[in-house]
Amino acid sequence: MNPRGGVALIKATWLSWMQYRSFFFLLAFSWMIGPLVYLFVWSTAAGGGTVGGFTRGQFVAYYLILILVNQLTIAQTNWTMGDLIRGGQLNRLLLYPMSVAYNTLASELAGKVVYLLFVVPVAAGLALVLKPELHLTLANALAFVPALALAWALSFLWGYWIALLAFWMTRADALVTVEAAFKFLLAGQVAPVALLPDALRALATLLPYRYVISFPVEVITGQLDRAGLLTGFALQLGWLAVALGLYAALWRRGVRRYSAIGG
Amino acid sequence: MTMLRPLKLTAMFIGASAQHELAYRANFWIGLLNSALNFGTGLLGVMVLFEQVENVRGWQYGQTLAVLGVYLTVSALRSLFISPSLDALAGMDGEIWRGEFDFTLLRPANTQFLASVRHWRLFALVDLALGLIVLGAAVTQLDLPVSAGHALSFALTLAIGGLLLYAILLTFASLTFWNPGFLFGWVFDGLFQMARYPVGLYPGVLRLALTWIVPVGIITTVPARALSGDLPPALLAGSFAFAAAAVLAASALFRAGLRRYASASS
Repeated sequence: MNPRGGVALIKATWLSWMQYRSFFFLLAFSWMIGPLVYLFVWSTAAGGGTVGGFTRGQFVAYYLILILVNQLTIAQTNWTMGDLIRGGQLNRLLLYPMSVAYNTLASELAGKVVYLLFVVPVAAGLALVLKPELHLTLANALAFVPALALAWALSFLWGYWIALLAFWMTRADALVTVEAAFKFLLAGQVAPVALLPDALRALATLLPYRYVISFPVEVITGQLDRAGLLTGFALQLGWLAVALGLYAALWRRGVRRYSAIGG
Repeated sequence: MTMLRPLKLTAMFIGASAQHELAYRANFWIGLLNSALNFGTGLLGVMVLFEQVENVRGWQYGQTLAVLGVYLTVSALRSLFISPSLDALAGMDGEIWRGEFDFTLLRPANTQFLASVRHWRLFALVDLALGLIVLGAAVTQLDLPVSAGHALSFALTLAIGGLLLYAILLTFASLTFWNPGFLFGWVFDGLFQMARYPVGLYPGVLRLALTWIVPVGIITTVPARALSGDLPPALLAGSFAFAAAAVLAASALFRAGLRRYASASS
C-alpha cells in the first residue's frame, strides 16, 4: 500500500482526462439521452393528471436525479481495467509499488469529475425549464447518502469483476451489452421500478441492477415505505458482498494466470 | 459509365464484405445477442408505457409500435452499408484521418458513390428482419385495412427517411475534411435515439427542433403516420422536398471537402 503514490496517480490521471474533456462531455451527453427520452415520454403521458401515482413534475424530478446518479455510478471499468488486460498495458502497472486498484480508482475519480462538469449544469438548466416537483424530507435526504455511496461501490466492484473476466476471455464485451440491457429495463430507466409489470418488478427487486442506479433515486423521491427501504438496503449490501468476493477471487486467480501480450 | 456499372460494383463490394465478415464467426453470436437485446428492450419499452396509459397525446399502442418498427428498420439500413462505409472514410482512425483516402480518390469511379457503398455489414439483415416484424405487429395492432395507397405512401416516406439519414451522415462525414477530430456524429447518434418514440411525445420546442432542425422526426414519425393512414399530402410533399434539398446540400459539401483534402501521413 502506498497512499501518497495513489494520490499522485489520481491527480495525474485527472489532469490528463481534463485534456480530452470535449470527448468525455460527448460521452456524458450520450449516456444522458436514454433517461432523457423517458423523462419526456412519461411526463407527457402524465400530462395534467397522474400515471401510476406520479405527476408530471414527479416524473421530471425522478428522471433528473436518475440522470445525475447514473452519471456518478456508471461503470467504466470495462475499458479502464478490461482493456488494460486485453492490451497488455497491465504489465507496467503490476510493477508499480502499489495496488493496481489505484489506477482504476484514479480513472474512476477523474472520469466522474469530468462527466459531472457537463451533466450538473445541463440538469440544472433542464430543472429550470421543466419544473420538477420534489417533496424532500430530512429522513429521505439522509437515507439517500448511504444509498448513493453503496450504489457507487456496488457498480464499481461489479464492473471490476466483469472487467477481470478479460484474463480468461477476449470478448467480455458481450456480457457488458447484456448488462446494459438489464440496466435499461430493470434499473428504473425505461420506467420507475414501481411502474413495471409484476414479473419485471420482482426481477428488478432481486437482481443487482436496480441497486446501482434507481434505488437511491427512489429513496430521495420518497417512493419507498419502511419495509421497502430496509429490504433495499439489505439487498444492496448483499450484492456488494457478492461483488467484493468475486473481485477478490478473480483477481487472485487471474493475475497468476496472466501472461502479457504486447507491452 | 453505363447504368449497370454501379450495380455491378456494389455487388462486388457486398461479396467482398461477406467474405470478410464470415472470417469472424464468434462475432456472429455476439451480434445476434446484441440484435435480440436491442429488439427486446425496444419492444418492452413501448409495452411498459402502454400498460399504464391508453394513449399519449393521441398516440396509441399500434401507432407507437409503428414508430419503433420504422426506427429499427431505418437503423438496420443505416448499419447495413451507410455507417460502415462512411465510418471507414471519416470515423476515428478512418481513411481521412490516416491519409489513405488518396487510394480511394485514384479509383476510376465516382468518389461519393465509392465512399457511400464500399463496406457492408450483412449482419444488419437480421436487424432489418426484426424491424419488419415489429412493423407487422404494428399493422396487426392498428387493425386498419392497409390499402395500396397506404402501402405506397409508406414505402415512399420510408425511402425519404432513408435518404435524409444518408444526407445527415454524409454531412458529418464531409465535415471531417475540415477537422478530422470531429465527433458530431456522436451527438447525432444520441439525438437519433429520440426517434424511437413519436415526436409528438416531446414538448413543443423540442418537437419542432426534432422535425425541422435535426429531422429525426421526419425519418421515423412521418412513415409511421403514413402506415396508419394519417398523413396529410402537404407533409409528404414537404418531407420529400426537405430530403431532396438535404441530399443535394450534403453532396455539395462532400465535393467541397474533396477539394480541400490535402492528404496526410508520410
